[in-house]
Amino acid sequence: MAEFSWLPRSPLEHVLVVGAYGARDVAPGISLTEIRNFDLIQIMARRGKGAELANAAKARFGMAAPEVPKAVSASDVTLIWSGPDQFLVLSKGGKHAMDILSQAFSQFASLSDQSHARALISVSGMKACAMLAKLSSLDLHPASFPIGAAAATSIDHTSVNLWRGSDLPDGQAVFNLLVFATFAESLWRTMLDAAAEYGVDIGYSEELG
Amino acid sequence: MVSHAQTHRLASGGLIDRSAPLNFRFDGKTFAGFQGDTLASALIANGVKLVGRSFKYHRPRGILTSGSEEPNALVELRTGARREPNTKATTAELYDGLEAASQNRWPSLRHDLMAVNQLFSPIFVAGFYYKTFMWPAKFWEAIYEPAIRRAAGLGRAAGVADPDHYDKAWAHCDVLIAGSGPAGLAAALASGRSGARVILCEEDFALGGRLLADGGTIDGMPAAEWISRTLAELASLPNVRIMNRTTLFGVYDGGTYGAIERVNDHLPSPPEHQVRQRLWRIVAKRSIVAAGAIERPIVFAGNDTPGVMMASAMRTYVERYAVTPAKRIALFINNEDGWRTVETALGAGLQIAAVVDARPDVSAAHRALAAKAGFPVLNGFVSGVDGGKDGVRKISVALVGGARAEVEADGLGVSGGWNPAVGLTSYHRGRPKWQDDISAFVPDSAPPGMVAAGAANGAFGLGACLRQGFAAGVAAAQTAGHGVPPVADDEAFSLTPLWHVAGKGKAFVDYQHDVTASDIELAQREGFESVEHLKRYTTLGMATDQGKTSNVAGLAIMAAVSGKSIPETGTTIYRPPYVPVAIGAFAGHHRDENFHATRLTPSHHWAAEQGAVFVDTGLWKRAQWYPRAGEKDWLESVTREVKAVRGGVGFCDVSTLGKIDVHGPDAGAFLDRVYINTFSSLAVGKARYGLMLREDGMVYDDGTTSRLAEDHYFLTTTTAKAGPVMQHLEFCRQVLFPELDVQLTSVSDQWAQFSIAGPKTRDLLGEIVEPVADLSNEGFPFMGAREVPLRGGIMARLFRISFSGEMAFEISVPARYGDALVRNLMLAGKQFGVTPYGTEALGVMRIEKGHVAGPELNGATTAADLGLGKMMSTKKDFIGRVMAGREALVAPDRQVVVGIKPTDKTRRLRSGAHIIPKAEIPGPDHDQGYVTSVCFSPTLDQWIGLALVERGRERIGEIVHAHDPLRGENYDVELCNPVFYDPDGGRQRG
Amino acid sequence: MRIVCPFCGERELGEFTYLGDAKPVRPSAGGSEHDVFDYLYLRDNVAGAMSEHWYHGGGCRAWLKITRNTLTHEISSVEPAAGVGAAKVGG
Ligand SMILES: [Zn+2]
Repeated sequence: MAEFSWLPRSPLEHVLVVGAYGARDVAPGISLTEIRNFDLIQIMARRGKGAELANAAKARFGMAAPEVPKAVSASDVTLIWSGPDQFLVLSKGGKHAMDILSQAFSQFASLSDQSHARALISVSGMKACAMLAKLSSLDLHPASFPIGAAAATSIDHTSVNLWRGSDLPDGQAVFNLLVFATFAESLWRTMLDAAAEYGVDIGYSEELG
Repeated sequence: MVSHAQTHRLASGGLIDRSAPLNFRFDGKTFAGFQGDTLASALIANGVKLVGRSFKYHRPRGILTSGSEEPNALVELRTGARREPNTKATTAELYDGLEAASQNRWPSLRHDLMAVNQLFSPIFVAGFYYKTFMWPAKFWEAIYEPAIRRAAGLGRAAGVADPDHYDKAWAHCDVLIAGSGPAGLAAALASGRSGARVILCEEDFALGGRLLADGGTIDGMPAAEWISRTLAELASLPNVRIMNRTTLFGVYDGGTYGAIERVNDHLPSPPEHQVRQRLWRIVAKRSIVAAGAIERPIVFAGNDTPGVMMASAMRTYVERYAVTPAKRIALFINNEDGWRTVETALGAGLQIAAVVDARPDVSAAHRALAAKAGFPVLNGFVSGVDGGKDGVRKISVALVGGARAEVEADGLGVSGGWNPAVGLTSYHRGRPKWQDDISAFVPDSAPPGMVAAGAANGAFGLGACLRQGFAAGVAAAQTAGHGVPPVADDEAFSLTPLWHVAGKGKAFVDYQHDVTASDIELAQREGFESVEHLKRYTTLGMATDQGKTSNVAGLAIMAAVSGKSIPETGTTIYRPPYVPVAIGAFAGHHRDENFHATRLTPSHHWAAEQGAVFVDTGLWKRAQWYPRAGEKDWLESVTREVKAVRGGVGFCDVSTLGKIDVHGPDAGAFLDRVYINTFSSLAVGKARYGLMLREDGMVYDDGTTSRLAEDHYFLTTTTAKAGPVMQHLEFCRQVLFPELDVQLTSVSDQWAQFSIAGPKTRDLLGEIVEPVADLSNEGFPFMGAREVPLRGGIMARLFRISFSGEMAFEISVPARYGDALVRNLMLAGKQFGVTPYGTEALGVMRIEKGHVAGPELNGATTAADLGLGKMMSTKKDFIGRVMAGREALVAPDRQVVVGIKPTDKTRRLRSGAHIIPKAEIPGPDHDQGYVTSVCFSPTLDQWIGLALVERGRERIGEIVHAHDPLRGENYDVELCNPVFYDPDGGRQRG
Repeated sequence: MRIVCPFCGERELGEFTYLGDAKPVRPSAGGSEHDVFDYLYLRDNVAGAMSEHWYHGGGCRAWLKITRNTLTHEISSVEPAAGVGAAKVGG
């Protein structure tokens, strides 16, 4: 009997080439980093169960789940608003994986595992806003999309979740992007096209930071 | 190569960089210019007057203006794949090595054989095409159209793909300003200082607008100094963004604006990784149109002779570019502003031959100036121009009182007044209003949030421009802290309206489309009096310049001949774009393989390694078949794949199906309302085929839905309808049935799903599934659905469903394991000859099995038409139930799905053929349906198909015509049971 | 055009899908053919303020009831459909 290996393969594994891309005569204005492994669970409140879900979320994560377009983080989890009565739980290492969260929430909420449905890309750099302006119709100026702001929106007519992380120590903006896995290669090409003129530093990380 | 001397360049002055000489070529000749020139100014510097031939009459044309309103000086810029026709020489920035060619001439600009059109000009009048090529009709395609196409049109497109990249971007601001003249800069200062986010767009590469040519004193300093101080202050404000080389071309709903940025048009080609142009969508809370005004020509005979130029353009060329369009200049004006050109010309050491001023009351100061400089001031009108392709030689003047005069000059500056640029303010169907003191249309209303300021608002004095611009900036910023406004004097402006000097000879209104004053008169005589009719009948204002120099004059002439006032005559509707925008800029990144976003299945790269041929299915790339060495065509590969499945085992990636988690206590009740059949009664661990209707009773979509838990269904849709079904279900949930406690989530991308089919399916699965999972017919019966562990530690979902009619399972694993799964299936299945199959084999097997798919679910078929009428529950309400019962939808003579087989077993079938009764002559009168799907069935060793045929199910066994007029085929087919293969279904249940 | 989604804020038109008139109400189970026909096909062709269904499919996936002036595209109100935000029902 054959031996089977079950190596997960990220949606960007084929297309992502680590290193420099685009303009080389400038210091890279954009860093693109794929995060390959994560748990991502969509939690949708059931009818009339908003209050119970909120309490359970607070108990489970030590913070309130966002009820407006925001992302909130604790040391081991990020909760990202994804629509009315729903949010995404982004975590690593199985601590907030589907089976565990199901037990905690199934009385008030419907859960759907999205861990394999998305690719997670972090966009940072001095030119991050300029590059994202080519992809996104949102106003990402810090005054209208500050740290912690989140959006369910579209890029290339494809649904994405976008939220702004804390700035890097040198002041560079950081944006996180969840894109649908089957669209990931296509959107990646679009992103490289948008970023090429600024110089790109491409990398990936096996785990969430 | 030796450059020609710049014979017409002034020794000093201008905003050009004399330390940066540039060489360029026009019509193969080499010339020199400087950094800061446009192609037009550089041509003038070299004494070039003849720049192109006109559209219809091939008349020699020169340079009329110095901006984007230019109707004459259109050239082909660049060569090869980058060749771009109809580029305005007046806005094309000079770069070293620029190559341009004149247009619309053959064999050369100076000797254009098509100029014979001028001799036939009486027949090229308004409505010429409508009148001349009416008959005989058959001549149109064969003779008229090709001939017209050869002769018509300006310039040639490159004919090959554009090698450059374009992109699109969004920008957001509080205040958007169009134009960087005095009003625009003052507005930017006011709003920028208060902290508002400001974007200022300037179409030119240099900032300052008319100040660059007309100067003036602002805040006690020369305009040039004020501009540089202002720009320095604006540059220090991080909330202000100045975008030069950017034209605001459109205004859309909700404060959205379109702008085109010519990022690298001023270079021979864009630097690596940079774009040529960028299309901006700018979202602004407020906007200020400070786009200035356009000086308008006066219509008189010979007004298109090279050397006739707008008076303000002459100033621009002299002051900004330090070039002399003429040495001895005559002016024909009807307003005060034209006198500025006199001062500019004299200041540059040029001669003034005469000023022909249509106004009776020329000021004493002007008369004194004329006396001092020694030129006459003639009260009258220019009635003709003596000249040709080498320029103006002499002008004829009709003096008020009847006398005539002639003036020798090599250039004629014309000013008929100024038209505020009302395009942007009028794009929401706004109609500008007439303002008598300047005899021009000015903005009346504007789109929400927009105001006009300065010359664009009819304020022509420098002081007024600054005041209006600043006030608009203050108002738009809506916050304090804007400082003090800049101050300047207001010049006097007086004008006597003058549009057209009647006389012999062609007097052009629309230069680019060769529309003359007599064309407008003819249109009026023939009843095309409404301005919208006038425009379309004469093509006035329909060229790429959109009539910027011609529309108002055209209206004025129409008003005069129809005995109405100009405001009564009115304007045509203004529509974007303000300047032509390349299609490439609208496409941006979305061309070639990036035309639209694409989706890849989890096994895509494995399939590519196998050499699979892919097909575009909506956004997806799907493996169509997997060719093997030695196979001569697709049919051979597909046939092998089908046989391998029917005889052994194969698998196919079906991850493209839409997959939706339906959660909640009311999930079953919800599905009962959206499917025609019942799902609330489905047992946990079971799957069921479901059919959805539209509310009008037609079939919408189908798929298999499984109950994974009491409150959790896993619904699948067809590949094509995945998105629409999700939207439809959300509509049902949120709008139609809000009382139900149900939640929906797309999990299409979460699961990699494969169909494994064939008699050896269990053998293959046995290798890969942990033995604890009982896959026997008893342990996992047909339509079972449950989770099973796979060897090596991951969980999978198994669904015992079959599209192929074979013993089959669908297996799904979390998508990141899809690639591993397919490799493991190959590894485990080697001993069974496992064969991957593509969408073609999938299609063949579904036709053999009589399963309906896209061609039958065509939006016009009912459940009964598809043979699925019995699924329709009578015990519940569901979407489409009532309408499905309408008389016509249950009529006995509907076209329903049947199988077809050619009577000649060797015959190939083709879909689209029509079904005609055997006794009838093929034709539309006897059309009883058509062939929807066909395939070569390896199992039956012949072509088979499905068709929609009137009363088809009652006619099994009947021989009918398959009539295919498109391909010229006519043959007999037998109507038969659509289930060709294993009609009892024993194989899939076994 | 821009639409202020009650959940997401102001977004561009491309994120939304238009369905049509929001006035007709689907007849409940047992509705006659006549009622359903009216619901399905009879539409007012309004020149002015019109109540319409829009779907924020490129964003939060909420169905919205929007009042839009068909002459000017001016949007005077945006409300979520009845079934959106059901978590708060009775709470
Ligand atoms: Zn929304």
